Amino acid sequence: MRALTLHLKILITILLVLGVSITAYQIFVIGIPVTEDATDDLWNIDAKVEFVANAKDPVKIQMFVPPLNRDYVSLNESFISNNYGVSVNRVDGNRKVTWSARRVSGKQTLYYRLVLTKRYSGDKTKVKGPVFRDSIAVDGPEKIAAEALLAPIRQHSADVETFISETIKRVNNLNDDNVKLLLAGDPSTPHKAQIIELLLSIAHVPMERVHTIRLVADQPQNPELWLRSFNGNDWLYFNPESGEQGLPSDRLLWWIGDEPLVTMDGGKKANVTFSLNNSEMNAIRLAKLTDENTDANFLEYSLYGLPLQTQQTFMIMVMIPIGVLVILVLRNLIGLQTLGTFTPVLIALAFRETQLEFGIILFTVITALGLMLRSYLEHLKLQMLPRLSVVLTFVVILIAAISLFSHKLGLERGLSVALFPMVILTMTIERLSITWEERGGGHAMKVAIGTLFAATLAYLVMSVPELVYFVFTFPAVLLILVAFMLAMGRYRGYRLTELVRFKAFLKADS
Amino acid sequence: MFGFWKTWKALEAKGIMGINRRNADYVLKYNKRSLYPIVDDKIITKERAIAAGIDVPELYGVISTEKEIEKLDDIIGGRSDFVIKPAQGAGGDGILVIADRFEDRFRTVSGKIISHEEIEHQISSILTGLYSLGGHRDRALIEYRVTPDQIFKSISYEGVPDIRIIVLMGYPVMAMLRLPTRQSGGKANLHQGAIGVGVDLATGLTLRGTWLNSIISKHPDTTNAVDGVQLPNWDGFMKLAAGCYELCGLGYIGVDMVLDQDKGPLILELNARPGLNIQIANNCGLTLRTHAVEAHLAELAEKGIQETPEERVRFTQELFGHIHQQ
Repeated sequence: MRALTLHLKILITILLVLGVSITAYQIFVIGIPVTEDATDDLWNIDAKVEFVANAKDPVKIQMFVPPLNRDYVSLNESFISNNYGVSVNRVDGNRKVTWSARRVSGKQTLYYRLVLTKRYSGDKTKVKGPVFRDSIAVDGPEKIAAEALLAPIRQHSADVETFISETIKRVNNLNDDNVKLLLAGDPSTPHKAQIIELLLSIAHVPMERVHTIRLVADQPQNPELWLRSFNGNDWLYFNPESGEQGLPSDRLLWWIGDEPLVTMDGGKKANVTFSLNNSEMNAIRLAKLTDENTDANFLEYSLYGLPLQTQQTFMIMVMIPIGVLVILVLRNLIGLQTLGTFTPVLIALAFRETQLEFGIILFTVITALGLMLRSYLEHLKLQMLPRLSVVLTFVVILIAAISLFSHKLGLERGLSVALFPMVILTMTIERLSITWEERGGGHAMKVAIGTLFAATLAYLVMSVPELVYFVFTFPAVLLILVAFMLAMGRYRGYRLTELVRFKAFLKADS
Repeated sequence: MFGFWKTWKALEAKGIMGINRRNADYVLKYNKRSLYPIVDDKIITKERAIAAGIDVPELYGVISTEKEIEKLDDIIGGRSDFVIKPAQGAGGDGILVIADRFEDRFRTVSGKIISHEEIEHQISSILTGLYSLGGHRDRALIEYRVTPDQIFKSISYEGVPDIRIIVLMGYPVMAMLRLPTRQSGGKANLHQGAIGVGVDLATGLTLRGTWLNSIISKHPDTTNAVDGVQLPNWDGFMKLAAGCYELCGLGYIGVDMVLDQDKGPLILELNARPGLNIQIANNCGLTLRTHAVEAHLAELAEKGIQETPEERVRFTQELFGHIHQQ
């Protein structure tokens, strides 16, 4: 016995030392951050190009893609197109992708996908731009209208910036007769931009069209037109509709100039739709992606070396021991009674899918209904396997019904149920009903509440983001956990509930 | 928090054993997993007991397949009272106690008249594992029906009171009389509401009792005092319990026995994880006693002596017996 204890002590010490030193090495020597402080927004932009190819002609389709020179870093860019040749080239500060194919026909779909994140570098590169331009020639009534508009603009402005915003304001005043004449009944944004350009050119102020995409998730959108002008130091951006100055930070510059987004030969009905979604990524993974060829080697043999999908699975997996630890403490130190040993952990995992409140309600409702069915089946005296199968099928039907109901009621939450592990629910019902019969309803209730409580606590602990990050980044922590569990394996002290249970002794004395 | 610590210290001083200690220091240490089937299956327990010459309710027969149900009549013979039990049942489920015959039917203890077919159906249910814990196939045993000694008439409500003795390596360390109540439905399980009454190891005199974790001295249904009752043939119980170590090889067990009015002390079943409420019934912690036994064992091991059941009983009776109650 003593040899065994010594053996255990040595084992615990080895595990502790190993766990602590590996973690310390990671923190102090490699310098991995202890908390996941900087998470960055990661944007996933899909541009879907659809068109109908002519049957005979070779197809060539060109589309602008973001030049990505200043505020954004591209993490990944892909052109998804079967049978098409792809080439990307830079023209006048723009980037253009050219897809070409000799013989295609019918409806065609091409994808351009870009994953990017904001750049947080402080140093700004010097920019250059034109400060003078020739006037666009106009005559007749348009010339008079333009002059008439320019006179008050000149009066109300002090520099290029105010001049441009004043011009935009004037052009947007649709009640002005001069504006009416110039717009000629077409008050669309591109047309307004054209008039603004005309007016500015007369004053020799250069102007460029800028087409932007808003970084907003899950909203269909079209490129938004902005105007910009160079004031000698920097580009000034203007909204052609409102005259508002300065590009909002969520705008991504897609292309510059007057050309349309897509030009094509050998096809028709070209149409581009954008879809965006964003995700968060912690600093470590971002560092690995952005500096692929720098010394991010230290991450090569951590869990961050795994593919992204697998990483997410592991993030859940490494938390399971933590959940088990919670159950261990609740059962052996506190003395809480739960159904089975790991059932609460499994339920906690199920809560991940349903969220907590909804999960608890769902668990309670389904278990209560399942227990009713189970007590009815009891009268039929069925064997175990058929009985379990009936309960499981009933649970599936219940879940389907709940999903349908909540969907009809517009509660999308209900749909998450579909993945709520049915087998866990079935086993819970079965065990609970056995407990009910053997030890009475009160005890079954106590056990059920204990299980739910343990599951909730395990879920809460398992979903602390700091903890998830810590365990995932420093998996050696699990060794420390094992050491603690080993020590618990020989814990002989009282459970908290036993102190209450045996109170009768102390009363007898006093 | 401070209150809890004080309670902790007080309980420790009294030697109260907690579940963690029972599991770590006794159940895991003394009970080999491979020997569990001996106590989990009542038929194996009984066969072992008979082989060791230990008294058990007489086994009339075993039915292990549906085909064998036909033999039921041969097994019963002319007997008018008997008990049908699942071999691996728990908590007293699935037990059918036949008290009498009525015309060509049977009458249960509660007075219900049932037909031969109903008995066969019950056996069939037992065989399919309806009452066994894991739900796997089981066997049915048909055995002698115990008639509790008249001494228990005044302090029990229906059912059969039984005597539980905790035995460590063959040394009986603590004893308790379990009395069914109305609440426990005639069953003698404490968590179902039966009363546990401590018993002095030396004399067989009952001490005060525990009911649902609190200390009592009267039976809640009959209101008769449960303490100060002299259990007959006490040394017989002690020897029976002590002999169970040789029978099953498990070092830490609870031995459940009954006192039949004709046959005396009989062993009903063994339990490899005996509960801890026996401590409340005896108003005494188990740890002090088990430590004393373990010290004695270590001493004997040094000298290379092995004690017989009689010697072991005498040892614990001298050490733990003759409790003076306030």
